[in-house]
Amino acid sequence: MNETMIHCQAVSKSYKKGNTLVTPLESLDLEVPAGEFLALMGPSGSGKTTLLNLLSGIDSPSSGKLVIHGTELSGLSRRDLTAWRARNVGYIFQLYHLIPVLTAFENVELPLLLSPLSKRDRHARVVAALDLVSLTDRMHHTPSELSGGQEQRVAIARALVADPPLLVADEPTGDLDRESANRILELLQQLARRHGKTIVMVTHDARAAAAADRTLHLEKGVLLENP
Amino acid sequence: MLPFSYAARNLFRSKSRLFQTIGGSALVVLLVMSALAINDGMNRVLAASGSPENVILLGAGSEESIQRSEVPERVAGIVEAAVPGISEALGVRAVSSEIHYMNYLSLDDGTRAQAMFRGVTPQALRVHPQVRLMEGAFPSSGQAMAGRLAWRKLGVSEAAMKVGGKVLLDGQEIIISGIFAAPGTVLESEIWLPLGDLRVIAKRETISCVVLRLDDAADFTEVDLFAKQRLDLELAALRESDYYGQLSAFFKPLRIMTWITAGLIAAGAVFGGLNTLYAAFAPRVREMAALQAIGFSRRTLWFSLVQESTMACLAGALLASVAALVLLDGRTVPFSIGTFTLEITPLVAAAGILTGVGLGWIGVIPPTVRCLMPPLPTALRMS
Repeated sequence: MNETMIHCQAVSKSYKKGNTLVTPLESLDLEVPAGEFLALMGPSGSGKTTLLNLLSGIDSPSSGKLVIHGTELSGLSRRDLTAWRARNVGYIFQLYHLIPVLTAFENVELPLLLSPLSKRDRHARVVAALDLVSLTDRMHHTPSELSGGQEQRVAIARALVADPPLLVADEPTGDLDRESANRILELLQQLARRHGKTIVMVTHDARAAAAADRTLHLEKGVLLENP
Repeated sequence: MLPFSYAARNLFRSKSRLFQTIGGSALVVLLVMSALAINDGMNRVLAASGSPENVILLGAGSEESIQRSEVPERVAGIVEAAVPGISEALGVRAVSSEIHYMNYLSLDDGTRAQAMFRGVTPQALRVHPQVRLMEGAFPSSGQAMAGRLAWRKLGVSEAAMKVGGKVLLDGQEIIISGIFAAPGTVLESEIWLPLGDLRVIAKRETISCVVLRLDDAADFTEVDLFAKQRLDLELAALRESDYYGQLSAFFKPLRIMTWITAGLIAAGAVFGGLNTLYAAFAPRVREMAALQAIGFSRRTLWFSLVQESTMACLAGALLASVAALVLLDGRTVPFSIGTFTLEITPLVAAAGILTGVGLGWIGVIPPTVRCLMPPLPTALRMS
């Protein structure tokens, strides 16, 4: 049996919006085994992105227990959370968020700059990551010289280059045409099945969710397996 | 650590912002360098104008204004005979009777300008050894010799004060007989006339002061004692260096005004620049958030922003330094008692560069506030 990668127990998240207390997630329980490709669906405002932010250590829960890859996140300071993210999470954004002034190679290399790897080792790992997304021939191109699909593949290479056990993807195909989207989804499947990555993907697209091993629906902060 | 190339390449993302930042920084640095050069130049000229070996004997109570001072002409002879320690060459003791007089002179073309006149005898050259006749001759009656920067003080063309030129002082025509230099002092902005001529023109029966040169500056006490003992002469003794020191203090408000003016303009430039920077960094909020999501700390990102801001501001500082060297260095600036020269000394240049670095640190405030202060989940979704 696979080890548990994500363990959420009675996790809630509240924040103040003006004078109103908003609670996008309330007493949420979730278990995700390592190596699973999980899709999270739900209408806008259902708390999908909030959950993704909690799972990736971008935000902290207001209450409950959140253990990712053996680390209890709710007790970590912001600095520790940042360091934890660098080691454990690869984040794939809907709009890629590549750095426009850096080449594809340099963008992918960014997470490795936080590690003690030598320049030669970094180079080898960046080339391997770009090879995995079939973009070695574009490594010296800047984002403006790449198509949307290529940019997203660079973003995926950036997310996995440091070999994090968990990849989180926020609408990774939301800004792509169908062909490019399919290619990205195949890549994510490959990362989960062949490379053992745990992937949590937020999507509005049922076809994208179909590529995942399991789909959960989030409605008003509550997770439903079969809505 | 983010690569240095990230900061360097970011500079060129928006050329208009880069030019604004460099321009704003250059303006502020140039203002700081100008204010420093003005203060430094004025202090330097006043410090160099007074020699510690020279003692001025003025009328008691007139220590703050040599032009108002009244000293009987016979004082020079009495001092020469009574005070020990006066410098002597070829049997002549260095004692100079002088009239200091400020009035308007007129040129042939009708130009009127306020000038500093000094009525002297050839003895003046003994007590003011820095004065060197560059051209022409020491003036005799009806003549004057002009300091080589007098034209600058008067605000006229250099040709107007050449040897052979004519000026009018209280209706009297005076011919320029010579040009003298007294490097780095206010003396070379003055016009020197024979003592007798100036006494008539100024309608004075007395002189303004007696200046004497001592072999040893420590002998000032002897002169001071003389002035205090000879109550009948109503004298006060003042070291020439102290006199110009007092003048320097007198001009302090002017120097403060220079700083205030420079500060106000610089503050306008700085706040304008900060406002522009704040707006210009809006598109990079999500980029900074993405870098934080990847695992870069706020401190790392802040340091990269410091590099970026400092590089732009240092470029401005270097531009300002070049501009200062080309536009300011060596330029003479007139003020009420003479002229001083602006010099871009290593100290002024270093202050300019340091200002550039300081601006870089101030310049990092808008991007820090704009990009790094919002909570990460909010920043990732900001448009």
